[in-house]
Amino acid sequence: MDFIYDIFKSWAADGYLPAIFEHTFMIRGLLAALIIGPLLGAVGTVVVTKKLSFFTQTIGNAAMSGVAIGLLLGEPVDGTYAGLYGFCLVVALLITFVKNRTRLANDTIIGVVLAQVLGLGIILMIVVTSQFNIHQIEGILFGSLITLNDNDLIALTIASLVVGTLFAFNFNRFMLASFNRTLAKARGISPVFLEYLFVTLMTIMVVSSLKLIGALLVLVLIVVPAAGAQLVAPNLRWFVWLSVIFSTISTASGLLLSGILPVPSGAVIALVSSILFYGALVSRPLLCRGGPNQGEI
Amino acid sequence: MSDMDEHNLLEIDGLSVALRGNRILEDINLCVPKGHIHALTGPNGAGKTTLMRSIMGGMPHKGTIRFLFRESGRVGYVPQFLDFDHSVPITVFDFLFLMLKKMPVFLGRRRAMRAKIEELLTATDCAHLIDRCVGQLSGGEFRRVLLAQALTPKPELLLLDEPASNIDEVGIRHFEEMLLNLREEHGITILMVCHSMDMISRTCDAVTAVNRKIFYDGPTQGLDHSDLLQQYTFL
Repeated sequence: MDFIYDIFKSWAADGYLPAIFEHTFMIRGLLAALIIGPLLGAVGTVVVTKKLSFFTQTIGNAAMSGVAIGLLLGEPVDGTYAGLYGFCLVVALLITFVKNRTRLANDTIIGVVLAQVLGLGIILMIVVTSQFNIHQIEGILFGSLITLNDNDLIALTIASLVVGTLFAFNFNRFMLASFNRTLAKARGISPVFLEYLFVTLMTIMVVSSLKLIGALLVLVLIVVPAAGAQLVAPNLRWFVWLSVIFSTISTASGLLLSGILPVPSGAVIALVSSILFYGALVSRPLLCRGGPNQGEI
Repeated sequence: MSDMDEHNLLEIDGLSVALRGNRILEDINLCVPKGHIHALTGPNGAGKTTLMRSIMGGMPHKGTIRFLFRESGRVGYVPQFLDFDHSVPITVFDFLFLMLKKMPVFLGRRRAMRAKIEELLTATDCAHLIDRCVGQLSGGEFRRVLLAQALTPKPELLLLDEPASNIDEVGIRHFEEMLLNLREEHGITILMVCHSMDMISRTCDAVTAVNRKIFYDGPTQGLDHSDLLQQYTFL
């Protein structure tokens, strides 16, 4: 990893990059942002189409409990991977299981599980903070470049490669199954299997992004760029690419600003992402002639 | 129809479906000969769509459903409606691309596919809709797009769920012509759920009236519509 950091530091020293990139944590953050941004942007298009925005928030909140469980299991405070991935995946699969076993509305089920996850998270946090420094945990809640380490970056890269490949390979089927289950079945697609697969991939990406964006704001990077793209995209191809572009701009510029200003990276990414959303909203009449979202502003 | 092979393409024997203890369908026996257009009719909640879903393998049931395919063995399906978010920017081109290609639509070569999809849409007279978002289509336009997707690859059996709903009279006549053409030109067997007695009598060879059980099964020729409707009322 040092080899990559040295290249960036030399570019910063030569003036090709802002001086802030002479710091290793900023380079690490930039690399993470350039991996997470495009992928979350693309995943967000399916999240928005499947109306899973609050599902994402629930996974983010479940991360609080995940961190606490990891710590209680004896994992190091800067690497609670088993607790985080394990608990968040259990929550994601539980929501999907209940949804497929009942006729309850999606948001009702998510509301029920969200309440449970928050309750458990608060109790576990109280238990854990009596043993650990809360500042070591708040990085997960709000996103912190300082706490992002090389192991996180390696885990993020591996997760992104696996998720990105499976997501791209199944994108058409995810979209078709979101559109209509019966039609998907008639075309030989299993909507239930695809639903489990998608929530698994999404959860892996959400959890992998937590240290950069934060559990409370991870929803932003999945939903807001896709929502902005949805406003102006004339077709599915542009929907995906615009969402990828918005998400990448948000993560990269948000990261840069958080390196300059004393604020958490997740919060700045959320604000930049929101500015792009409102930019898309305002420019909609010019950009989306013939598109589906031409309602009055 | 004269040179048509008259063997049955679909045979259903003693089919029953129960959901949470309620009997939705009971002892359904039905034969659809190859090359026929066969209607399923009956009051709302009679189990017609359940029967369609059973035929597609999406509903647990008792009894047997046999397909006696001799060609592709493919079943095409046109749903009654699609419950989707109309604000999602999916064009007709995207919609068909999703179904025809494994390559993700945002990476796929659109030019290469465009000619193929245009040809497909021409078969149902809606090539001009290729760049329109599906959320903006009228009921009749969307039904033609759905029919186009069901025809690729060419099916041996085509299932239509209430193809005439939400379509004006001109649209219905146009749709009927397409169905007759599919039967005559391509030999496709069609089974459709339909409430319109006029459409059934103009288009179909036979009709099966269902209300949990079958209460009429026979040719449309000479069928007394008012008698059938009266049976609806008293069942």
